[in-house]
Amino acid sequence: MHTMKRAIAVMALATPAVLGFVGIAEAQDKFKLGMAVGGNTCCEWMKAQGDVARAIAEQNGWDYVELSNNNDPATALKNAQIFVQEGVDAVIQFNGQPSSNPAISAVMKQANIPIVTYDIADPGMYFVGIDNLGAGIAGGEALGKIIKEKWNCEPDLVISSEGAGAGIVNEWRTGGMRTGVKNICPDIPAEKYVSFEGSGDAAVALQPARDLLAANPNAVKMAVVGINDGGVLGLINAAEQLGRADEVIGWGQDGAFITGDNVNPHLVGSVFYFLEGYAVYAVRDVIKPVADGNTPPLKADAGDPASKVQPCPVTAEQAKSVPDMPERVAQLLAAPAGTTAYDLFCPNKG
Amino acid sequence: MSVNQALDTAPPAAPLKVRFGGLGTGLILAAVWIALIVATGLYRPDFFAQQTLLAVAFTMSIVGVLAIGQGIIGMSGGFIDLSQPAGLISASLVAVRLSEAGMPFPVVILGAILTGMLWGGFNALIIVFAKLNPVIVTLATNFIGLAALYLVFQLAQVPLNSDIYVFGRQSWLGLPAIFWPMLALVLIVGFLVPRTRYGRRMIAVGGNRAAAKARGISLRATRFATFIIAGGFVGFAAVLFAGTAGPFNPSSANTLQLNIIAGVILAGISLSGGRGNFWMLLLSIGFLSTIPTSLVFFGLSSDTQSIFQGIILIIAVSIDGYRALRRTP
Amino acid sequence: MTDTALKSEPADYVLPHHPVRDFLTGSVASIGITFILVLAVGLFWVGPKFVSFGNVSIMGTFLIVPLIVGAFAGFALLSGVVDLSIGSMVGFSSAIFALLLSMGWDPFSAAAVTLAFCLFFGAINAVAIVGFGAEPIAATLGMLVALRGITWVLLGTQGAIFAFNIELFNLVSTQVFGLPLFFLLAIGLTLLAALIVTRTRIGRHVQAVGGDDKAAARAGISVKRVRAGALLLSAFGAGLGGIVFAGQLGSAARATGLGLEFQVYAALMIGGYSILRGGVGNPIGGALGLLAVAGVSNILDLLAISPYYVNIIVGLLLLAAVLLDRLRGGDAFE
Repeated sequence: MHTMKRAIAVMALATPAVLGFVGIAEAQDKFKLGMAVGGNTCCEWMKAQGDVARAIAEQNGWDYVELSNNNDPATALKNAQIFVQEGVDAVIQFNGQPSSNPAISAVMKQANIPIVTYDIADPGMYFVGIDNLGAGIAGGEALGKIIKEKWNCEPDLVISSEGAGAGIVNEWRTGGMRTGVKNICPDIPAEKYVSFEGSGDAAVALQPARDLLAANPNAVKMAVVGINDGGVLGLINAAEQLGRADEVIGWGQDGAFITGDNVNPHLVGSVFYFLEGYAVYAVRDVIKPVADGNTPPLKADAGDPASKVQPCPVTAEQAKSVPDMPERVAQLLAAPAGTTAYDLFCPNKG
Repeated sequence: MSVNQALDTAPPAAPLKVRFGGLGTGLILAAVWIALIVATGLYRPDFFAQQTLLAVAFTMSIVGVLAIGQGIIGMSGGFIDLSQPAGLISASLVAVRLSEAGMPFPVVILGAILTGMLWGGFNALIIVFAKLNPVIVTLATNFIGLAALYLVFQLAQVPLNSDIYVFGRQSWLGLPAIFWPMLALVLIVGFLVPRTRYGRRMIAVGGNRAAAKARGISLRATRFATFIIAGGFVGFAAVLFAGTAGPFNPSSANTLQLNIIAGVILAGISLSGGRGNFWMLLLSIGFLSTIPTSLVFFGLSSDTQSIFQGIILIIAVSIDGYRALRRTP
Repeated sequence: MTDTALKSEPADYVLPHHPVRDFLTGSVASIGITFILVLAVGLFWVGPKFVSFGNVSIMGTFLIVPLIVGAFAGFALLSGVVDLSIGSMVGFSSAIFALLLSMGWDPFSAAAVTLAFCLFFGAINAVAIVGFGAEPIAATLGMLVALRGITWVLLGTQGAIFAFNIELFNLVSTQVFGLPLFFLLAIGLTLLAALIVTRTRIGRHVQAVGGDDKAAARAGISVKRVRAGALLLSAFGAGLGGIVFAGQLGSAARATGLGLEFQVYAALMIGGYSILRGGVGNPIGGALGLLAVAGVSNILDLLAISPYYVNIIVGLLLLAAVLLDRLRGGDAFE
């Protein structure tokens, strides 16, 4: 009787220990991926990036930890430290506030954990993303061709909707688009190029866009470029409200507002990056090799990236064949591993 | 004659001081607004144009309606409603969903207003029953509301060429269609508040709670009513917002907040209650909405806009404070 | 008869000092209980790892700036003037500091000049509020907006100034006893502030001015001097926070300090301060408030709960904490 009680007690005490040991053993041989999403409530794709990474990690049978950078540089740094403590084997991040990237790189390097960063390069991180400057120029040239065809390269204004909060990415995209326009129409005088701060948000861009239009009351033939579709759409909506949208043409970036039934007729084209599907590239070219034990060499430069995302410039007409984001995510996850959104959806691969 | 009737027939407390204070604020506001317009016009004569008027009037509209809601909260002693962004986005989302379902415009408007009132009621429920300070409560509910909204939707817009979409782009009598309801609401509210039983109760509760209670006014009922009515204005502002904004996301309304509070303060509506004139909102919001447009005409970047708005706010409240000091030796 | 006699006696010296009872009824009681609850929940759900040096270190690193800013801004709250401009001031300070570093200044002169600028803007707050009698919420809201504009102009079209100084980064990340040195310093600063508030004449004057300025003036305290001093302290603390921020992140950006005023004041209110009424609150309570919020968000991080729930839970915690404070006998709003 007595021994029985003791046996039960020993078993009861031992169970958690055994479970804990199994847990540790299991944790040790299971690969663990950390993902820090951008966490800015501005953007549909920031949440989608996490959803896709989670699904791919599950497909591979990995553990997955997701944190949000809250669009705050200090939080991004804190998250890096939590990843180190939680013993992740590799990290993917989108850091929309890249000012903390040098510090994050230092933390990851010390812990010897490879980190992939999307779209905004840092010398200590594997770069996966678009060539933003290239995407800007591609969009600018496409718009330039329309300006040449329609207005014989004589627009009244070339308006740029900036989003300075995105830092260097903004300069690449909007500056690239201006360069692209200049490549096609080199003789547009410098004073025709104007810009305003629209924060890359259609609703926020409205008021500064209306002010800019008011201050240029005689401009009719207006071409609009911007950091993203939202910023460009802000100016188009403002022009509609001031009764001056007849001859406005806009070409966006990121393709957020060029799919579906509600495409504004003045938004004539955009450049898809398929931001939601970046995890496919990151896993294929960096994370999977790391998990298999052959860590690839660090490629941190946007010009020579670890994995290059192809930009996909489309006209509004071509974009009609592209499904909207929730549908794209579903199709992407159903496709064989390694298939990119570009392969699946870009209507004019070239 | 009951205490209630006595209160309602009696003139509002210290009417002369209020009126002269209001008049002074109005004169100063009008003077600086005109000075700004004249200065910009001298620098760039094409400032005096229909396009400028449209741009400023558009900016005024949404901020103006939200400022009425904020003013009601302030005047009744509720300080500030920091949850206006969450309320505005919720109501805008309802407006979008209703227009997507093909509902007629009046139903869309009603749906948005009811959502706003519901949000105000939710705030009031916590404030009244937990007896917590509105500033803290609305700070928390805005946090909670925006985070919850992002889980529900990340992006929304009213359908192209729906009634509400067209309304957001129309002009009537040379001004934006969305401007007229704002103007009407400010005039009506400004007329009714000092002249109706409910309006006087609201001011009484804001001015001196203990005295109001002693006169038999129910603090709870008044508090509920003010938050629900203020929420209704947020809901109506959402109609204007959804109609004009194009695609919006849960954080699209965050930048409006500071301008609204600044407008209410400049109008001389006391945030701690009991004092103010809603008509002054037309001047303060008009002035604040002209600043960014003027700066663009002067060729200054939009970043400088906040520097000017901030400095003006500091100077204005300093003058206001100085006058109050002199009034009460 | 004996009853009335007892009632008229001041209750203070009838009761002997008793640490447990002090804790349950003192100024930091509500937040103390909240903090212990958070600790218990963390230990229960996350396990001992929650209070490991490594994990506390992570929270601590993240808390350095809010702790410094909160300790100083608490003086303004205590004296009855809320300073909403602290978040923008942190951003402004980090921008100036990063700018000077990137121009090749040495960190000490850069810090001194940065603090001088911050004090200048703090002095404007003081002149407007104390000199002209402007409403503090409104005046410092204006300063918030103006400083944000100045910061954005300073940061230029890139929206950021990179000034990664490895020596400074190493200094700020120095660890002693397994915890960040600057976190311990910030805790030390908090304790010092608490001593000043509770044990010195200056502290009593600040509380008196915040509690009832007319009575304080009658007692011969210069209300204006105390409030002006508190506003300058608040600006100084935010300036210091911005400098540490720039050292930690190696840069200044548009997002630096954005919304920090809400983060700090929400935590200070959880910790027993009031932004609408002076004379209540205590630096230790404020620091515990910051620790409790950081603890909650850390628990959610470690449990890998969807990050989208964090703000919802922090909001609910804020409501719960102020409710707890109210039920304990804090100010009721009617």
